[in-house]
Amino acid sequence: MADNQFGRDAVSRRKFIAGTGAVSVAAIAGCSETSDGNGNGDELSGEVIVKGSSTVFPISDEMAQRFMDDHPKVNVTVDPTGSGGGFENHFCPGNADINGASRLIKEEEKNHCAENDVSPIEMHIAGDALTVAVSPENDWVDSMTFDELAQIWGDDSATTWSDVNPDWPDEELKLYGPDTTSGTYDWFTENVNGGTHRTEYEGTEDDNTIIQGLENSPYAMGYFGYAYYSENKDRVKALEIAESEGDDPSAPSLQAASDGTYPLARPLFIYPAEGALEREPVYEFVKFYLENTSADWIADEVGYVPANQDMVDENMTKLENAAGE
Amino acid sequence: MATTDESTGTWFGADGQVSQLRGLLFKAGCLGATLLALFLVFVFLVYVAIDAIEPGTADPAWWATVATTVAGPAIVLSIYYYRFAPRAGEVAYTALGLPVAATLLAGGVSIVFRHIVSPHEWLALVVASLVAYGALEFHGRARDAGALERVVVGAAVIGLTIVGVPGLVPSLRTLLLSLPVLPMAPLALLGTFVVPIGVGAGWSVRRARESDRAGLIAGGVTVAAAAIGAVAGPVVGVSWTTWLVLTTVVGVPVGLYVERVYRGGKGVSGLALPVALAAGVVVCAVIVETAGFAGPDVWIDWEFLTSAHNRTPREAGIYPALVGSVMMIIVVALAAFPVGVGAAIYLEEYAPTSGLSGSIVELIEINIANLAGVPSVVYGLLGLALFVKVGELRPGIVIVGGLTVSLLILPIIIISAQEAIRAVPDSQRRAAYGIGATRWQTVRTVVLPRAMPGIMTGTILALGRAIGETAPLLMVGVAAVVRISPRSFFGLFSAMPRQLYSWAQLAKPDFYHGVLAAGVLVLLVVLLMMNGTAILLRNKYQRRD
Repeated sequence: MADNQFGRDAVSRRKFIAGTGAVSVAAIAGCSETSDGNGNGDELSGEVIVKGSSTVFPISDEMAQRFMDDHPKVNVTVDPTGSGGGFENHFCPGNADINGASRLIKEEEKNHCAENDVSPIEMHIAGDALTVAVSPENDWVDSMTFDELAQIWGDDSATTWSDVNPDWPDEELKLYGPDTTSGTYDWFTENVNGGTHRTEYEGTEDDNTIIQGLENSPYAMGYFGYAYYSENKDRVKALEIAESEGDDPSAPSLQAASDGTYPLARPLFIYPAEGALEREPVYEFVKFYLENTSADWIADEVGYVPANQDMVDENMTKLENAAGE
Repeated sequence: MATTDESTGTWFGADGQVSQLRGLLFKAGCLGATLLALFLVFVFLVYVAIDAIEPGTADPAWWATVATTVAGPAIVLSIYYYRFAPRAGEVAYTALGLPVAATLLAGGVSIVFRHIVSPHEWLALVVASLVAYGALEFHGRARDAGALERVVVGAAVIGLTIVGVPGLVPSLRTLLLSLPVLPMAPLALLGTFVVPIGVGAGWSVRRARESDRAGLIAGGVTVAAAAIGAVAGPVVGVSWTTWLVLTTVVGVPVGLYVERVYRGGKGVSGLALPVALAAGVVVCAVIVETAGFAGPDVWIDWEFLTSAHNRTPREAGIYPALVGSVMMIIVVALAAFPVGVGAAIYLEEYAPTSGLSGSIVELIEINIANLAGVPSVVYGLLGLALFVKVGELRPGIVIVGGLTVSLLILPIIIISAQEAIRAVPDSQRRAAYGIGATRWQTVRTVVLPRAMPGIMTGTILALGRAIGETAPLLMVGVAAVVRISPRSFFGLFSAMPRQLYSWAQLAKPDFYHGVLAAGVLVLLVVLLMMNGTAILLRNKYQRRD
């Protein structure tokens, strides 16, 4: 069959030798050195793993992006896991180099870290104006006191707006807040509610869910970091906050947070692990991070209060001490 | 005359009239369900596409130009094919789809050569495999060896050439890689990637045309087109390696198809559609450029495909996640396919079917079917416990993500492979036994070849599921933002669905409208490619029957 004639091999040995010969000559002609010549051998490379608070995430992510513009071979990965989630699941077991936190580290977290020979170094890097917001359709409340907030968020007893204040509508409260793994939740529990937090609310690690919830119901209320509010100012209405009945209520703003007139101002931290700082890329990243904490873009592009020079200096001293040992 | 049968009377209705109402209602209900499903999917796709393309931002004149130069001719041609030349219509759509699919495939091949197997590693692998093949062939011809010796020699040869003994004997492959001088990367690819494909193309043309000359021309053109890239690539603005991959992966299938259409001589006019479309695009681009019509503000563009996540939505891209997904799928396929198919073969061909052990096997099968429905978060926890806590691997690396997801799709692969094996008619097994074949020979030469297309279809569909999984990746610590593609299977990675999830959480609305929608479209295209491959395989298999 014709098929056989062409299907089976008909290449002669001479042709084969000629063909391979030609290919070999071509291959040898195109040979090059295998050690690639473009190696600036001392260029910084490696990995830095950042976990922790979703409130601190925007700062860390921006820092990572800017740092990687300078050092394109250092892989800085950033992951919002919540302050507590980051300490518990990633940082203290030794799987992360830096943990962001929107509250101070807890005693049990310190112990957990110590069990694994991880020693966190506390660095206060920025300030946040924790924002309590309601739906833009809400026309009965513009400001609240800590007492009213605690009545709503402290325990599950209040179910309608009128339970808190008889002037407010007799409609069910729809509450959206951060998850229990979040440092924002812990800070709010500790500083506003006096140690307790209601369990009947929509808890989420995704602040967009809170914004959407507030948009969709006039009887909704929620709290989150200022950065999310600054990106969505036209979609929700932020409440002015007064610490107690007689005080002047103050609207959330970075100015008010930095000069201390906004009562829900809170510090933000990162916790690098002392051991991880021995690795050059981690040390360089933390150094870059701290140097930039006083930069204007923290306020303009991320929406937090930048650190002042004293804080930067103090953090740099801590860094040098930790790395110098 | 009709018999007065009681039951027939009640069945057809006592009045002798057959009621069609219930049937019509049922038909209408089914139609409604179909329309509802199609409508919901359609609404979703339109919603995503509008977010990703933002058609409203374009100048109406831009749309008018596109409609007259690209869409209009295409519609006119389609109507012509539909009315007058159905065969040409078939050719037209294949000729249109093939370059698109091949370009996507070329993208995949480029990713493989850039991040997974460097051209030098590929060269070493090919040369080592050739040496191994030659040695085995030589051994087979020189000695009439028994089965055991063949296995031992095979293992030894592969061990020496490709795998090597860690710490003791380096393989030929690693020796080649450590040579001080190797061909330049594009030349290495030209010799070990383009030439084999060119030989294959030449071979198929030679057989089809029954002419040595045609075969030589086909092979020669392939290699020459790739080689021109040394000059043409930089002129066009792409690297020689990219040019190589494009000409071979896109050029060869398209060329072969065009050649086949011309040789067959049927529906040649169908080739006009892609040509008309390409010409239309060029004309359209020229008009838009000269007249200065503003196009839509698309989110999904070349930059989106080739850059990493950025805090500025317009500059954000999906590339590292795309590479991560490809690498993860390789791990998943390598891990899940052999294990799943092996288990399926055992359960179908060897496992006892009667007695106590038969009941145990049945219990196991029911449990496997159950496992296919377990939520993916649970598999994520399982992966975390198994690979991170017990296996002591780092969380968030490719291999951990891939193995975790392969646990997830393992039950699906087992079940679909079992179905495929069960579909092989028993008569064929009996015929094989009847001519004296052992069970192993029957499975190897009768059952597996018949079942393989079905197994492949099931596996590819399962891989499609794997590429879209998010929850297990969250559980094993895959980070939200990874800006560098993994350099090895033990590197930190992000995958497309994980990246989409993190975009959905960002504060800027542009992320969860525009960027997210563009990412969804990319993921959908990749899924469509995988499912399309599965359908092609199935069709080929059905035709062979």
